[in-house]
Amino acid sequence: MSPQQQTARRLSAAFQQGVTRRRFLKWGLVGSAGVAAAAAGGFALLRRSPLDDRPKPDWADGLSRQEYHLFDRARVALLPTVGTDLTPSDQVPVVRNVQGILGFMDAATRKDVATGLTLFDNAAVVFHGKRFVDLDEATARDYFDAWSRGNVVQRTLGTVIKQLTYTSYWRDESTWGPVEFDGPVSERWGIAYLGNAPLPDQPSDQATGEGNA
Amino acid sequence: MSEVQWRSSGLPVTEAKDIKQGSLTLDADVVIVGSGAGGAVAGYELARRGKKVVILEAGPYVPSKEFTERFPDSLETLYQDHGGQTNKSGDLLVLQGACVGGSTVVNGCVCFRTPDFILQDWQRDFGLSDLTSEEMAPYFDRVEKNLSIEDNKEHEIARHGQLIRAGANKLGWSVKPFKRNIRDCALTGHCLSGCKTERKQSMLVSYLPWATAHGARIFADTRVTEVLAEGGRARGVRAEVTGHDGAKVADMTVNAERVILAAGAVQTPLLLLKNGLANRSGQVGKNFACHPSLYVSARYPKPVHAWRGAMLGVYVDEFLHPDNGGFVLEDGGAGLVELSMTAEPGTGEPFMAFMEDAKYLAGLVTLIHDHNVGTIRWEDGRKVIDYQLANSDFPSMKRALKAAARLHLASGAEEVYVPSSDPRVIRSEADIDSAVEGLENQPQHLRMVSYHPQGSCRMGADPDASVVNSDGETHDVKGLYVADASLLPTSIIVNPQVTVYALATRIAQRMA
Repeated sequence: MSPQQQTARRLSAAFQQGVTRRRFLKWGLVGSAGVAAAAAGGFALLRRSPLDDRPKPDWADGLSRQEYHLFDRARVALLPTVGTDLTPSDQVPVVRNVQGILGFMDAATRKDVATGLTLFDNAAVVFHGKRFVDLDEATARDYFDAWSRGNVVQRTLGTVIKQLTYTSYWRDESTWGPVEFDGPVSERWGIAYLGNAPLPDQPSDQATGEGNA
Repeated sequence: MSEVQWRSSGLPVTEAKDIKQGSLTLDADVVIVGSGAGGAVAGYELARRGKKVVILEAGPYVPSKEFTERFPDSLETLYQDHGGQTNKSGDLLVLQGACVGGSTVVNGCVCFRTPDFILQDWQRDFGLSDLTSEEMAPYFDRVEKNLSIEDNKEHEIARHGQLIRAGANKLGWSVKPFKRNIRDCALTGHCLSGCKTERKQSMLVSYLPWATAHGARIFADTRVTEVLAEGGRARGVRAEVTGHDGAKVADMTVNAERVILAAGAVQTPLLLLKNGLANRSGQVGKNFACHPSLYVSARYPKPVHAWRGAMLGVYVDEFLHPDNGGFVLEDGGAGLVELSMTAEPGTGEPFMAFMEDAKYLAGLVTLIHDHNVGTIRWEDGRKVIDYQLANSDFPSMKRALKAAARLHLASGAEEVYVPSSDPRVIRSEADIDSAVEGLENQPQHLRMVSYHPQGSCRMGADPDASVVNSDGETHDVKGLYVADASLLPTSIIVNPQVTVYALATRIAQRMA
């Protein structure tokens, strides 16, 4: 077991000490499917970040300041486009779309997600001496990769953050052209609506004596 | 019998916005909970026999013309929990439609009759001696005719299907065109977002309008909260009508001597459990199965454009029988968001390179014959889908995954991506065993999706070991029926919509 894995195991164990009976709730596989595994209640930040004092945009009223900065850092780390024809992620409303997805969650689930995100951000202090939001891009990617090989909590958190971010990027129409994705086509192609299927010609049971279909 | 009033398009649905009073009481012969595969079929079959039918749907009514062909938007508007319904540990997305028409609106149109060996299992193990292939055949015939179910024609097998078919032929594996319930497919590839131009013969454009033509009434935005029963007999339901802003609009009571639960294999047992009904056996909510699926994507040397053409073209049934493996491989198209969620090629540049090559990707869906090990229940007022892939099913999952990788390689793929949480890429046959055998049956290690929840109100002859009899009626409460995939005593390996249509037809006929 690597030192990082050992630390992850200790961290996870410590994390779960404060967990109540709802310790593991479900986590979504897709961006819109998020639900967090988490402890009841949050916990204090292990280390301050310069970003803690930086305001979030006015539209981000569905995200805490820490969540906004976390997903903005995830956007940069997870969606590099330099040297490609892909649409730069800063031209796509990635974090805004993440907020939209999180907005569909019920209150209890949303609270769990918030706690899980706080864990993900803070656990980087143990591994890298900085919160996730302060990691450089390469280190942030290493952090994701390590968690993809970690325990259940780590795999869950890493997967959810990735898929929220990926979905929020690729759902945007501006990302489709470079990869030749067609998007909606029916109206563009002028496809006719067929309407309802014709009523079946099925006589009543009485008329046919049908007893066995 | 009143005059039949068929309309060529649209559906007369009463929505929350149409209701002005705070309380409604209706009388009916039959009230049906859910408007999907089971509810719609039962509704039509009873209405056309002169029964006064009321169908209650918790989800919204979304007319086809409002479908966006944008998958993430569709998840949020047409699917249960806005596309976020998962098992307890969150490593299995359980996709169900939650709109008028239910999952039939958002499925991939794939149609299979219940395999004979499954029916034989049910006869042998559950005392369902009347559910023989011969008994079921007329019901299958009827729904297949009604829903225009036919083999895919050659032009409906897209580039990805052609590749897979060629690979299967090369391996000597049995490969067949899908049967689909579709009229004149427009080849948009947007099945999972609803068929905008009404080619898919979902309940939205078939059995529901037919049911209303015979006088059935449909209410959307109406969630049943209580099944009324008295003296061991069903009496009706209570429901709440809720606006799209989440505010309750009205309470509703439907008095009816017959109640059919067809809300799907998650919601139906939850409703019974909430009401403490029909559970003498203790089996309500138990025996849940779901065909946990993997989407195995692979990169090909020439463009495939997996989002173009019919979404599902061919399938490999070489391993269908449990003695041969107990799994099916289905060629499946996908859009960008779906592709981004299935593979883990690595973080950052590797992922973006994978997606930059999206037009070269094609995918295979694996379906396995999973054991009925799951439970649906309430926990702290929230629904729980307690299902983890059984250790006994994990070898099946790995066999299916290996077969998918072999098939991709035989079809000409250069790289196959294992849908795991860590990066695993297969480039040759020699890579397959090491990439797959290293997988562990642990939560969040595989990226699984279920499109086929089933089995949570098991059908059987023994009242102490099952919830309903072979006519769909609960053993404990007369007049209370189940007519959705909850019925299925075992998982059926293949896509279950036709099985549900046929059983619902039979249940309605026997009820009438």
